[in-house]
Amino acid sequence: MASASSETARLGPRWFDPLSRWAAKSWMFVLFFIGFFLFWEVSIDLFQVPRYILNKPSEILLASRADLPRLLEYTYVTGLEAIIGYVIAIAIAVPLGLAIAFSSILRRTIYPFFVSIEMTPKIAFAPLFISWLGFGLLPKVIIVFLVCFFPIVLNAILAFSSLPDELDRFCRSTGAHWARVFWKVRLPAAMPQCFVGFKYAALNATVGATIAEFIGSDQGLGFYIQISTGNMRPDLAFAGIFLLTLLGLLMFGLVTAAERLLIPWHISVRRNA
Amino acid sequence: MTAAVQLSNVSKTFGAGADAVHAFGPVDLAIEGGAFISLLGPSGCGKSTLMLMIAGLLAVSDGEIRVNGERVSKPRTDIGIMFQDNTLVPWRHVEGNIALQLELRGLDPKANQPKIDELLKSVRLEGFAHRMPHELSGGMQQRAAFCQALVHDPKTVLLDEPLGKLDAMTRESIRNDLQALWMQKRPTVVFVTHSIEEAVQLSSRVCVVTPRPGRIDRVIDIDLPWPRDLAVKRSARFANYVADIQGIFHGFGIL
Repeated sequence: MASASSETARLGPRWFDPLSRWAAKSWMFVLFFIGFFLFWEVSIDLFQVPRYILNKPSEILLASRADLPRLLEYTYVTGLEAIIGYVIAIAIAVPLGLAIAFSSILRRTIYPFFVSIEMTPKIAFAPLFISWLGFGLLPKVIIVFLVCFFPIVLNAILAFSSLPDELDRFCRSTGAHWARVFWKVRLPAAMPQCFVGFKYAALNATVGATIAEFIGSDQGLGFYIQISTGNMRPDLAFAGIFLLTLLGLLMFGLVTAAERLLIPWHISVRRNA
Repeated sequence: MTAAVQLSNVSKTFGAGADAVHAFGPVDLAIEGGAFISLLGPSGCGKSTLMLMIAGLLAVSDGEIRVNGERVSKPRTDIGIMFQDNTLVPWRHVEGNIALQLELRGLDPKANQPKIDELLKSVRLEGFAHRMPHELSGGMQQRAAFCQALVHDPKTVLLDEPLGKLDAMTRESIRNDLQALWMQKRPTVVFVTHSIEEAVQLSSRVCVVTPRPGRIDRVIDIDLPWPRDLAVKRSARFANYVADIQGIFHGFGIL
């Protein structure tokens, strides 16, 4: 192992180093991944699957190349819906979670209300919003907001209300103003649990956008998948699915990067480093 | 002369009515300035409750506590406090954690740098100032926490089983550091423990606390020379103190 890494250090440029470390750690996954698509590729011929049911990965690739401009445009549309809804959800849910954590009135009113709504599948509201607000961007943003808001707000409430007793007592024994305690202790202490909500919500965002588009839209990847499936073009539908996957990975990756930047000290970050 | 800490008829009851739990007291105790007092008793006897009440972090149900002559009615800021679970925050290195005590008090850590360095040296943590808490062993973390609790030069220091989670050998070693720090700065220390030997080694006086509801059964002056090093601990008098106290707890039906 040691000789291999020193060899790559001599042979490759500097950026190659983390890449080779990643490869050393993940080669099994990469093999599995390649194997999975190879199996898919050969089984279509092997089991004589009709093309209106399922295509080979290579055919999906070719079809997406042919329709690339439209796919990219729709990725942008869906991505915009997901990101706007997600960002608004964070902007509203975190301060609200903070308020609920510190207000006994809000804890007894809004909090149980939120917990009960959390039991409702938010997607069930989607047809209503489409019928109220039409086919545009707004109803999709609202649906993304709904599926992102609750995990963020519930985790934020937990985050801001679970400072260890000892730390709370320590802060009180200094006589510090609450604002100073908030910036120096409560906020950083709450970040890891907040990120649990952010990451969960990032996964929900593309789901919300896609389903909202299924229900009523004239653009976006959800719309594209639905139309392609109706036209018996599973190759194009899969092209849309792959792009949705990339979009989800991108959003989750950005949140994870922000987490590493903001709370490098936290165990969840250190363990993955 | 007024005592540094004066407890008059102090008791604590949690809850009210039929569900009320009488946790502690009533207790009278005068702790003179510069003393090292141990509250020694079994788990759940209310030692920690008393400590929180002295710190003003928990209200007394009855009676009165005075620290340096002032009646305690809100959290006191002139004390240093330390718990079994330390108050080091994971996002600051050792020195930053010590500085946190100063920053929360609106003091400038830079102006106090020599004091921070001196404290770190006295607990043998020099060279670890820029390590994160998770990079330290449990014992080193507690040593850093001592520095955090002492950096603002408190006249009164409340220690709630600070060595409780450490292994026997580490405890032994940190006791010596703690004793050296106390002898050097001579704050008034209230030390909560359930280790008889620890109480006898560190204290000028040991308060024996009964099982719940905790009362101070008796106060024993420990008349042994300082520092209480290995030679003192091997002495017959040290062993006698330990045996006497063991006898008291035997009488409670605990040992």
